[in-house]
Amino acid sequence: MPHFFFRTILCALMVTGLWAQQTEVVLTATSSAKLVLAMTSPKVTGLDEATIAQEFTAVLKRDLDETGVIAMLQERLPADSAPAKAWKEVGAQWLLSIRLTKGANGDLQMEASALDTAAEKSVFTRTYNANKIVPLRYLAHYLADDLVGRLTGEKGVASSRIVFVRQTSPGVKEIFQVDRDGAGLIQLTRHGSLTLSPTVASDGRLAYVTYKGGAPEIWGQHRKDGPHERFYPTGGSGGMLSSPVWSPDGKRLAFVQGDRRGNSDIMTLDLASGRARRLTDGNGINTEPTWNPNGNQLAFTSDREGGPQVYLMQEDGSNLRRLTGEGLYNASPTWSPNGAMVAYVSRFEGKFDLFIYKLGEGKAYQITTGVSTSESPAWSPDERRLVFTSNRFGSSQLFTTDLSGRQIVRLTELSSCQSPRWIRGR
Amino acid sequence: MRYGIYIVPAAIVLTLGSLACKPPKTAEEIKAETQAAFNEGVQAFKDGKARATNPYVTAKDAKEIPHKIQGWNDGWDKAAADKAAADKAAADAKTAADAKAAADKLAAEKAAAEEAARKAAEAEKAAAFRKAAEAALKTIHFDYDKSEIKESDRAILQGIADFMKAFPAAKLEIEGHCDERGTNEYNLALGNKRAAAALAYLKTLGVDEARFTTISYGKEKPLCTEAKEACWGQNRRGEFKLK
Repeated sequence: MPHFFFRTILCALMVTGLWAQQTEVVLTATSSAKLVLAMTSPKVTGLDEATIAQEFTAVLKRDLDETGVIAMLQERLPADSAPAKAWKEVGAQWLLSIRLTKGANGDLQMEASALDTAAEKSVFTRTYNANKIVPLRYLAHYLADDLVGRLTGEKGVASSRIVFVRQTSPGVKEIFQVDRDGAGLIQLTRHGSLTLSPTVASDGRLAYVTYKGGAPEIWGQHRKDGPHERFYPTGGSGGMLSSPVWSPDGKRLAFVQGDRRGNSDIMTLDLASGRARRLTDGNGINTEPTWNPNGNQLAFTSDREGGPQVYLMQEDGSNLRRLTGEGLYNASPTWSPNGAMVAYVSRFEGKFDLFIYKLGEGKAYQITTGVSTSESPAWSPDERRLVFTSNRFGSSQLFTTDLSGRQIVRLTELSSCQSPRWIRGR
Repeated sequence: MRYGIYIVPAAIVLTLGSLACKPPKTAEEIKAETQAAFNEGVQAFKDGKARATNPYVTAKDAKEIPHKIQGWNDGWDKAAADKAAADKAAADAKTAADAKAAADKLAAEKAAAEEAARKAAEAEKAAAFRKAAEAALKTIHFDYDKSEIKESDRAILQGIADFMKAFPAAKLEIEGHCDERGTNEYNLALGNKRAAAALAYLKTLGVDEARFTTISYGKEKPLCTEAKEACWGQNRRGEFKLK
């Protein structure tokens, strides 16, 4: 990734023209850095070939294609039995072989191995055993994630999930979850009211805001898979409440509380003690908190100097400083999982685009361009992509983009989606 | 046998004489007969017979039984008097009951009339309240990313303040709303700011702020969803709802 930014800056220096030209160059640079992988047909025992092609091979190919680090070789493939040399000649760097066996009790076993065609040495071997209730597509996701892990040192995100808000009827919004490839849609809340701002702790605990009692309240899970309970306020009315975000250690929630004078402040709630603490100073709007991965700093949006801008502060409210410089409306900051970047949105000519602020460089990079609006960015767990909402094909749907903004993929065809969060699935 | 002529008639005379000359009745017998006749008189009245049907008056021995005649008549008279008294008591009771029923009915009618009047007054008051609320609780609007009360909306807020003063029991929830441009979370904060601006303005007009609650819906409850200013302008609003 540092290479990508380095090249981007070089391009920016050389081609002081249109952004589109820069992204062209970036695309070339990133695609040439991908590992070219070829795959022989899976050897199957006890399973229908057509099912495998549809529910496993196609899923695996799409997963690998979307990793951003692997390019699938699809054409001019040698015969499955051809020697490694033949695969190398057509450009394959790794050759993937898979054996899938369905046992008598219905359980699945998958043996996968990858061969480096140049060195003619095995670079990956792993056996997966799956209960019969695990869908085939999940085996494909697990394999794709482990191949990426072998290649980059960090597991891929094919098995990851997106949690988001969707309108189910006018005035009613609920929280849903969908697999990263758009399959497996599940409704997580059924409050029958406005339910907003989901946040998922690293151990999977959900928290969110719901208006089910009339006024907004923060609800969530005290333990994984536990019941949804009210977190805040513990009694009475809490005023305007929004934007709960789990701290990286899962012990606290940052959230926003608004008062009757129109101010809204960043607060933290310690779940064990139930104690809330105000971090900002009751000066205008302060909202959209996001933790850095250490849990010792927060970025947030504030209108303290006029329009909304992104600010940083320590987790006790000290050392407040403004992050975003250009633009009249910068908001929706979200700190990257490794801590080096903050994604946010910036408004220009009536629409929003995604930007990334690279903290080490002190520079902002535009990710999306175009006539449609792109909002609510959230990082993939591997930091390679962003999920966001856009109206490019109608009312607010979910998309993902790589950090060049060139490889934009529609996640679902569901309308009226908002506030996506990207979480690991296993 | 000569004496036989005298003996037979004498025997006859003696026999007849003894039959005709009953011994005089005792006082107890007369009292019992009087009581029996009295009872007969009572029964005769109950059976609906006239006083003139006293059987002892026409009896052959009427002259010898004046006590029976008197007893029968007394019985009849007593029964007649008892019946008259009972009838009168019943009539009196009925009259009293009728009077009470009439009084009760009157009271109930009065109460119903009062209740109806009260209800009508209440309904009228409620209707007046609704009408006043409908007239006063108009929606105000805001400029993009702004929460200042517009000059043109001051009359609406004055109307709301007047309404609150006219109906001291009224309570309102002030809703802050935004257009679709801007982030969900920022717009929730902005909606809060707009509701607070309306609250602050109403406070300056002399309405107790404790009578208001504020709530922000951000851009989550738009009135219309087209991406143009006419629609956005409608969505950037403050609504006033009775609580």
